[in-house]
Formats: sequence, structure tokens, C-alpha cells
Amino acid sequence: MSVPDYMQCAEDHQTLLVVVQPVGIVSEENFFKIYKRISSVSQISVRDSQRVLYIRYRHHYPPENNEWGDFQTHRKVVGLITITDCFSAKDWPQTFEKFHVQKEIYGSTLYDSRLFVFGLQGEIAEQPRTDVAFYPGYEDCGTVEKRIEDFIESLFIVLESKRLDRATDKSGDKIPLLCVPFEKKDFVGLDTDSRHYKKRCQGRMRKHVGDLCLQAGMLQDSLVHYHMSVELLRSVNDFLWLGAALEGLCSASVIYHYPGGTGGKTGARRFQGSSLPAEAANRHRPGAQEVLIDPGALTTNGINPDTSTEIGRAKNCLSPEDIIDKYKEAISYYSKYKNAGVIELEACVKAVRVLAIQKRSMEASEFLQNAVYINLRQLSEEEKIQRYSILSELYELIGFHRKSAFFKRVAAMQCVAPSISEPGWRACYKLLLETLPGYSLSLDPQDFNKGTHRGWAAVQMRLLHELVYASRRMGNPALSVRHLSFLLQTMLDFLSDQEKKDVTQSLENYTSKCPGTMELITLPDGLTLPPVPFTKLPIVRRVKLLNLPASLRPQKMKSLLGQSMSTKSPFIYSPIIAHSRGEERSRKIDFQWVQGDVCEVQLMVYNPMPFELRVENMGLLTSGVEFESLPAALSLPAESGLYPVTLVGVPQTTGTIAVNGYHTTVFGVFSDCLLDNLPGIKTSGSTVEVVPALPRLQISTSLPRSAHSLQPSSGDEISTNVSVQLYNGETQHLVVKLENIGMEPLEKLEVTSKILTTKEKLYGDFLSWKLEETLAQFPLQPGKVATFTVSIKVKLDFSCQENLLQDLSDDGISVSGFPLCSPFRQVVRPRVESKPVNPAEGSRPGDRGHAKTLEAILNFKYSGGPGHVEGYYRNLSLGLRVEVEPSVFFTRVSTLPATSTRQCHLLLDVFNSTEHELTVSARSDEELILHAGECQRMAIQVDKFNFESFPESPGEKGQFANSKELEEERQEARGLEINSKLDIHWTIPSLKRTGEASVEGLLSQLVLEHLQLAPLLWGGAQTARCRLFSGVYSRGDVDAAGAEQAGGRVVPRTEVSPDVLVDGQPCDREAAACRVGDPVRLEVRLTNRSPRSVGPFALGVVPFQDHQNGVHTYDLRHAVSFVGSGTFYLDKVRPSGQSACLGALLFLCTGDFFLRIRFHEDSSSKGLPPSWFRLPSVHVRALGAQA
Amino acid sequence: MEWFLVTSAAVILFLQNYPLYIRSVPTENELKFHYMVHTSLDVVDEKISAMGKALVDQRELYLGLLYPTEDYKVYGYVTNSKVKFVMVVDSSNTALRDNEIRSMFRKLHNSYTDVMCNPFYNPGDRIQSRAFDGMVTSMMIQVC
Repeated sequence: MSVPDYMQCAEDHQTLLVVVQPVGIVSEENFFKIYKRISSVSQISVRDSQRVLYIRYRHHYPPENNEWGDFQTHRKVVGLITITDCFSAKDWPQTFEKFHVQKEIYGSTLYDSRLFVFGLQGEIAEQPRTDVAFYPGYEDCGTVEKRIEDFIESLFIVLESKRLDRATDKSGDKIPLLCVPFEKKDFVGLDTDSRHYKKRCQGRMRKHVGDLCLQAGMLQDSLVHYHMSVELLRSVNDFLWLGAALEGLCSASVIYHYPGGTGGKTGARRFQGSSLPAEAANRHRPGAQEVLIDPGALTTNGINPDTSTEIGRAKNCLSPEDIIDKYKEAISYYSKYKNAGVIELEACVKAVRVLAIQKRSMEASEFLQNAVYINLRQLSEEEKIQRYSILSELYELIGFHRKSAFFKRVAAMQCVAPSISEPGWRACYKLLLETLPGYSLSLDPQDFNKGTHRGWAAVQMRLLHELVYASRRMGNPALSVRHLSFLLQTMLDFLSDQEKKDVTQSLENYTSKCPGTMELITLPDGLTLPPVPFTKLPIVRRVKLLNLPASLRPQKMKSLLGQSMSTKSPFIYSPIIAHSRGEERSRKIDFQWVQGDVCEVQLMVYNPMPFELRVENMGLLTSGVEFESLPAALSLPAESGLYPVTLVGVPQTTGTIAVNGYHTTVFGVFSDCLLDNLPGIKTSGSTVEVVPALPRLQISTSLPRSAHSLQPSSGDEISTNVSVQLYNGETQHLVVKLENIGMEPLEKLEVTSKILTTKEKLYGDFLSWKLEETLAQFPLQPGKVATFTVSIKVKLDFSCQENLLQDLSDDGISVSGFPLCSPFRQVVRPRVESKPVNPAEGSRPGDRGHAKTLEAILNFKYSGGPGHVEGYYRNLSLGLRVEVEPSVFFTRVSTLPATSTRQCHLLLDVFNSTEHELTVSARSDEELILHAGECQRMAIQVDKFNFESFPESPGEKGQFANSKELEEERQEARGLEINSKLDIHWTIPSLKRTGEASVEGLLSQLVLEHLQLAPLLWGGAQTARCRLFSGVYSRGDVDAAGAEQAGGRVVPRTEVSPDVLVDGQPCDREAAACRVGDPVRLEVRLTNRSPRSVGPFALGVVPFQDHQNGVHTYDLRHAVSFVGSGTFYLDKVRPSGQSACLGALLFLCTGDFFLRIRFHEDSSSKGLPPSWFRLPSVHVRALGAQA
Repeated sequence: MEWFLVTSAAVILFLQNYPLYIRSVPTENELKFHYMVHTSLDVVDEKISAMGKALVDQRELYLGLLYPTEDYKVYGYVTNSKVKFVMVVDSSNTALRDNEIRSMFRKLHNSYTDVMCNPFYNPGDRIQSRAFDGMVTSMMIQVC
């Protein structure tokens, strides 16, 4: 007895063993076809009795096991069925002979035998024989089952007779001693007459009868016999047989308790001395369906309808707990005999099966533990594999999955043990795969995506290594690549640096022969291995779709945007719409890509490996739009930190593109990594819209590029920066070359400019251009160039920073921008006043540090091609930086009255702040040469200006509600005019640069006042009104004293304009001529432009004579006489009203007379500033009477 | 150098039955211990499920000998929160009785509680506490 049958279970004790074997040459297919039919007859109800006979079929049974048939009768081969092919009668005797030979093998134990002959027809087949059946073919054998039933019945008759024979011959005859093969020699020479011996014989026979009863379906009898046998054998210490009797008792009880059987489904597989799992489903067990019945439930409710035996049964049958105890006892007895190892092992297996049904895993594991240690003779490798496999199955049966996996793995290793000449790598691989669930390892990398891997990494890694090795030895490199990839991907955190190196090295070796793919690998047994994308090589932390560079960003035209929105919904804004699309919107990024333009996606990656990682063929996986991915190859340094990688591609069509992931080739393994599967990835959306193609514009300019880039606050990005250095007042042309470098024609161009906020006051147009010339070259085909010219003109006020404006009281009427502490402070322009004065700044005239910077942005909006049709345009910005250096400026401006009252001299102190000699010319009639840092005064005779000629639309007035703004506006306009009149130019001959010198910034109120035609024009006909500016005052004016008294009050600008008319003629600078003796009519007309009513006033007229030497004669009583009152009265004048008073004078002698009109001071004029009441002297020349 | 032959491995397992901490002496054949402890979990599971029927407060945390192998004995201990402690000791070390093993487990449990009290420890992470390490080391030396 050397070959254990691991499939044994307790029920097998009640079966009759029938061996079915082929004789001669029978194809395996045919044999098993018949075998199957035969074995379907496994349970026979014997006629006219309640008993059921169970048959166990075997197609292979070692004869040495048969020798233990007396020990346990179910081990005895009682029936033999041989199957043979025989096609001609000639072969028949030979075939029959073979049958007999076969019969001899099991001859001693056989009750009966049958021969099934297939193929033979004719007279031999006609002969009726009981032990031979003839069938024409394997298909045509309908009576096989019937034959088998007959055969079994014949077996039953023999069995029954034997049972009866044995059961009754105890009465006095000498009972033969039954013994197992290894005992035979022990009993030689033993006293056969001793009580002890007799008892032994009896006990053993009882046990044997019990076995037979069990087989014959008499469960109750067998229990009785077993009990008796146990008592007998116990008394003689016949341990081996005692064990057998106990086991028989257990088996009978198990059969009684668990009619469903204990073998279960796991019994379906068996290893019958072959390394491959042998023919499945060859065994049929009565009621093999898995009905697990609670052990307690059946103890009082048997299946046998014979209730008379009920009491005895309850007494004899073991309780489920006792069964285990008895099994334990039996096994302990078996273990005393080394030769009974197989019996012990099988008993263990049987007990485990019973315990599995009882769900007593702990005890079952103890039995199994014991089974592990049972040392059989030197096992062959195949037997070892079989043994480990069965242990694994049994552990699985009792729910010990890990233990099961452990043994399965041992079995797998055994398949390829070095001592085996032909290692079964396939079997090994298959077994290893079966261990995966036990190590809670699935081969789907998806299962490892959830957070950090938690498991028995060391054990799992070992298993994966073994899988890799086994698959490689199997000659399936694709499989080993897949497993190795899986190992690398999932166990990366647990691999040591050296292991990482080794694994990747071997992976590279494998992939050099068979590159890793993204395809599903299906194993022959149906298991599929999902692809393993290397999401950790490198690890991607963040995916960000990048917007196009600012200059290439498409922008939607506003009007079209409005239209498209209005088509979607009648509402301008509705929160409901926004919410309903919340999810979709959150993933969609609010910028666009352009068809045909290179688009970028930035990945933040890092390399977890301790060596340089080469990632090849890294590209994007997209959907929605045809996308030409341009793969990149990168090499990441060892243990790199986050490393930005930009993947690029070109969308070929328009629509919505979704970036789903990326693909890589690492160590020769292709991976498609989907973002959805990446753990811990940050992404700001992966869907973006692709708009139709647009042209691309490239600009280049005549100016050098600037290192300094502008940072405009509005967030525009500037593609090109140019800079230029100019002297103040200089004009330069900037030539911009526009080149269409895209694939679409450029159809539309708009240019706008924006001057960045600067504190500097800028005069005139800084940038000006004419777009028409450029547009004439449009549409600009790809590759073509157009030019565009912009003129840059800088006019800045440099004067205020100079502290050179000193008090100029020595030379007449002087004005300075410097806020002197003068009584006229109230009339100083507020802008000047607000400017902080930094004395240190002005202390070094000519310092180049005074250069000022002007920055502006030129925006080119362009569009064309299909994108233009869709309403998109692009914006290209050109940053312009102009460094303005002071050229000449006027440190002081003052006026001197010229000979004519309509003209005056403008005195300008010109300062050359450059380092070059320059010439200054005004209206090209004067040229002044100034050396560097030199200051000279130049006088220009100018006509006084009449600012009133500027149109002043009422709309404009309303627009500038702020009077200060309005004032400045006017001031500027005036400055411009003065400037254009003056037309002062400077030239630096050495640099050949010229420019304008502007006085605009300098012209303060006072200077303007002086440059203005006198506010009171004695030609009332010319101008109906003129403005009086507060604060204007002339030296020598007698009202000066009065004006000074009113100092310190800032008065609103008023417009009270009295006109004086002599003889109905307005008095001008020209003397009015009159005749001596004729009365001269004098009319003073007052136009009130102020917002309040003025008057009434009293005006006094004082005539005097100017001797031109500073002496004025006022006593002219004899020369001039008033006709009527010498005092004029003006009524109250309403705002914008007019009033006039008339008087007359009579000149008595010839001469030049002056009339000074002065206001009488009274209460009505007190509240008004004295400057309002300033009337010019009227010059009257009295001529002699006409002869 | 007798005591080098004497081995023991202390393993702590968390709920989901993966190791939080494994230490073994000697270290060269660690995988063997991994297998041993891994398979012992079957027994632990079985014992816990059997225990589940008992009242919670009467539960004995110490599981006793899980199974003996030829060279080692594997002992188990489970906390009320189902954290499992498994200890493998050399079979030849007869000095270790059940009581000693029991007290060692209790010490281990206390140390483990200290680790869990660390607010910077994420339950479920591998234990890397130096104090715990030191405790286990001292226990192992004591075993040896």
C-alpha cells in the first residue's frame, strides 16, 4: 500500500470498487466515452430490499492497494470490466486471452468480471455469454447501462453471500486471521489457540463483516459489528485493526449523518499517478449535490423509513463530535505503524472533509497539519506535487485560503524542481496563477490605483517574480513582459534601489525581443491579463492645458459674441443655465486652441527611479478632434523632483478636444495612461475648444529690441519690445514690418495704441500713423510682408523739475512757474501748485539722469481665413519704450511790451541740457547757438494772440463740467497755438538731430495774459465781449494799490467787460481824434459776462496830459470841460446783460489828452475785485478847428 | 554565539490583514517569516470568527498558539479593534511559556497604542516610530 488516494472520503467505505480497463488498443476517447456511461451507473437499489448499493469505478488501480482489501473492503477490487476493440473473429481468441490475463491481476478479490467487445460482429457475437457483451460500435451500445446493472446485481449476490457467510460462521469454526500484507510475517509461529489470538481473529472478522455490511447497504448492522469489533480489538491491543474498526464506525456514522456526502465538488479532480490533473468528473457519488445539512438536524430524523431500527441507531451511531474524536483515535493508532502511512493519510483527508462540512476549520487544520507530517516512503516528484496540490485544495475547503495558496505555490515549485528532468513550467505557471487570490493579488493594475498599496508586498513580489520566470521558461515572452511590467508598476514602492535596477534591466532584455503592448493577453484557460500602463514611470502629478501665447490667442469679436449668446437664450444672463451645465463647464477650460497651430499641454512629472529614466514616444491621447500628436522623448534624472514636460500637438480639425491621457514607451513597454485612472493627479480640466485656423502675424521693426519688457497692468502680453532714445521734441519714424507667417491670408488689421499711465504731461500726439497705406497691401498672403509706419513725437515738460526759475523781479513783468510767496498766489495755476518741488533734483542742470521714459503699446488686431469667418481675431502687441532726454528747455519765460500794444516780446531763457552744442531757431529767422549746459535768453517778438477765436461749443462746456479741466483744456489749446506760432526748433549739428522746443508747459496764466490781446478792446465793434482774467495787472496802473488790497483771495473768473466808445467809435491804441470846441461823445458800455449782477456803478472821468517824461498834468480845468456831468452812471447789469452810459467832453485847446476812467468807490463795488474795474486810458487828440 | 540561532519575529497587522510592521531576527531569511505569518492569518481569522460568538467584554485578546511548525511557534493576539499581532518564536526556546508570550503581547499592544496616539501617525501606514522599534528590539533581545 503505497499510493494514497487523496480523493478518498468517508462514503467510499460503502462502495464496491470496480475497475474498468481497456484491453488491447482502445483509443482514449472511445474508452472514456464508455467509461462515462459505465460510471453513470453508480447507485443501484437492489430489488426487493431497501438497500442501496454504491459503486466506485476506477480505470486505474494499483494491484498492491488491492492487497489491503481485507483490511478495508472498499479497497478491494470486486469487479472488473474490460473494454476492447475487436474487428475480426480471427482476433477474438487473442482478445479473450487478454481479458483473462487482466482478470488475473485482481483475480484473488474479484467477485465477477465483464468484457465489452466493440466492433465484432458475426457468429461469435451471436453466442450468448454472461461475461462478454458484444457491441457493433461505440455509438451503438444502448444496453451498456443495463448490462452494468446486471453486473452489479451479480456483484451484490456475491457480496451478500459473503456477508452472510462471514456473519454466521462465527459459531464455532475456527475464524481465519485476516491481516494486512506487512503483518503476514509477524504472525508466523504464533500460538493460534490462545485466547488472545482468537479474540484478535474475532475482532478482525467482526470488523470485516462490518465493512461488508456497510457495502451491502446495511448501515445499522455495520455499526453494531464495528462496535463489537472495537471492543474486541481494544482488549487485545490490536491497534492497526482497532483503528480500522474505529474508522469504519466513523464512516458509517458520517454516511448516516451526512447523506449529502463529504467529498463535495472538490472531489471532482483527481491525480491518479499522472502529473497532469487527470480526467475530471470521472467520479460520481451518490447525491453529489452540495447539500450541507446541519449535523445535529439528522440525528433523530433519519432517512431510513424503517423506524424499528431507530432506537438501535441512536445508540450505535456516533454523534458528530464523537466522529472526530474517533477519527483522532484511529489516526493515532495508525500512526503507530509506519507501513500504514497511506491509511493514516487517507483517514486524515477523510476527517478533514467531515470537519469541513461541520465547519470546524480549526480542528480540520490540525488534521491537515498532521497529514503534512506523515512521512510516506520516498515520494516521486509527481506524487509530491499531487500531495501539495491536494493539501492546498483541502485548505481551500476549510477556508484557509492563504495556507492553500502557500501549498499550491509549493506544488508549483515542485513542478520545476531541479531534480525533474523535464520541468513542467506550464503546470507551474498554472498553479502559480491559482495562488493569486490567496495572496490577494489581482493582475489588474486598476486595483492598485486606489491609494497606496497595502498588502504583503514581500510575498506578492516573490510570487510575481516567479510568474515572470515561469512564463519566460514557458517560452511566452509577452506574458513575462506583462508580469514584469505589473511588478514594476504595482510594487514600485516596495522595491529596493537595487531591485528596481534589476527589474528594469530584465524588463529591457525581454522587451528587446517582445515589446510590451497595451493589448489584453488571454491565457488558454480563459484568464485575461489586462494591460499595464506605466503610470508611475514617470509619475505625473499635474496636467495643465496651456493657452496659446498671448500673441496667438484667438479672441472673439464682441459683436459676434453677443450674437452667439443671443441665439442660445433670450436672456443676457441666467443662473439656471450656468448651473445646469455645471459639471461640464468645470472641466472645460475657457480658452481656445486654434486649428493648425501647435498646442501645448504641460505635465509635471517626476522620476521615482534611482537612475535616469528614458521616456520615449511620449505623446497625448486625445479625442473629439483629429489631433496630430508630436511625441517627445525625455530623459529624467534620477529621483528628479517635479519636472515640467510639455507635450505638443496640432489639432487638424475644429471642435471640442478632450485630452484623455498620454502614451509613453518606457523600457520598451508601450503604455496608454488615462488621466481618469491616475491617482492624485491635479488637472484643471482637460477639454478645450478648437477654433478654425487663423493667420499668424510676425512683426519686426526698424528699432532695436528692448531688453526691458513692459508690464502693462491690463494683463496683455507683449510679444515684442522695442526701445528708442529721443531728445525732447524730436520726431522719429518707426517702420513696422508685418509678415504673415501663418497658412491663412491676413485679411483684416486694426491698430490701436495705448500709452501706459505716466505722470508726465505729454504735449501733442505721441504716436501717429496712417493705416490706409498698409491696408492697401491687404489681404496679405502667407509669407508676404507689409510695412507700416508710425511716427513718434515726444514733447515733454522738463522745465518744472529745474530749480532755475528764480525771482525775476529785476526785469519787468516776470512770471515763474515756481510758487513764490507772492500776493498773487491765488492766481497761480493749480497744477503747478500741486507739483512737489524737489530742490535736489534741479540742482544739477544737464544731468542725464533726468531722462524720462515713455511707454506705449501698439496693438495689432488681425484676422483672416476661416477663423475670421467665425469671428475670431488675434491680437499682437508691440511694446514701445521711448527714453526722452531733455534737449532744450526754457527756464524762464517773461514778456516785455513791445512798441505796439498788439505785439509783445517774449523773453525765453533757453537752457541747453544736452552735452552737445545746439542751435535754436524760432521761425527760422533767428539762430542761437548754445553750448552744452549753457543758458541764454532769446527774445521773440510775437503778435498778441486772440484766444477768443477758438471755438467753444456749448456741448464741450457741458462735457467738462469740472471747470478746472475745462480750464486746462483751454490752456492747452492756447499753448498749442502759441507754440505753432513761435515754432522754435533746435538742432544738434553734431548728431544731426533736430526737434521742436515747446513752450507749452511753461506758459502760465500771467504770461498768457500778457500774450493775449488786452482784455478791453477799444473797438467794441470788433468784439462784443472780451474776457477779463483775474489777476492780470500792469505795473503803473493806478489801481494796483487797490488790487493789492484784495490779495489773498481767489476769485472766480468773471467776465465783466466795459467798453469805452468815443464818438461812437471804439477807442483803440490809436488816439481818437476830435476837434477843439466840438463836444466829444463818450460812451462806456458794460457787458456783464459774470454770473451775477453787478452795479450800479459810478464812473468818473479824469482827463490828464502825459508829458512823456513821467510827468502827468491833471489840472486841465482850462483845457477840458465836461458837457454835462463828469460822472457817469451805470445801472445794475444783469448777467450777460449790457449797459451803457453816455457823456460828453469838450476840448478847449489842441493837444494830446488822456482820459482815465475810474470807478467811484462805493458800496456796490466793494464786493467785487478791483481788477474788474480797470478801464484803459483813452487817448484823445484834440485837433485844431478846421479852418 | 548560541543566541543567534534563536529567532523570533514580531509582526503587527492591521485590519485589512496587511502588515503594519514586520521585524525579524535574523533578517536574512525574512521572506520565510512573511510566508509563515501570512499563512497564520488563516488561523487568526478562524479564531476571531469563532470568538465573534462570545461576548465582547469577555473576549480574550490573546489567541494562543496559532500553529507550530517544525522550527517555530506562531502566537497570535488580536485587539478589540481587530488589529492583529503575530509573534513567531523559535520552538527550541522552551523558556518562553504561554505567560511570557502573553505579557509580551501586552507590551506590544501598549506600545502600539502609543503609536496610535501620535497625531502625526496615519492609521494604516507602516509604523516607523523609533520608540516602537526600540521596544520591539528590546523584546527580541529578551527573547533571545
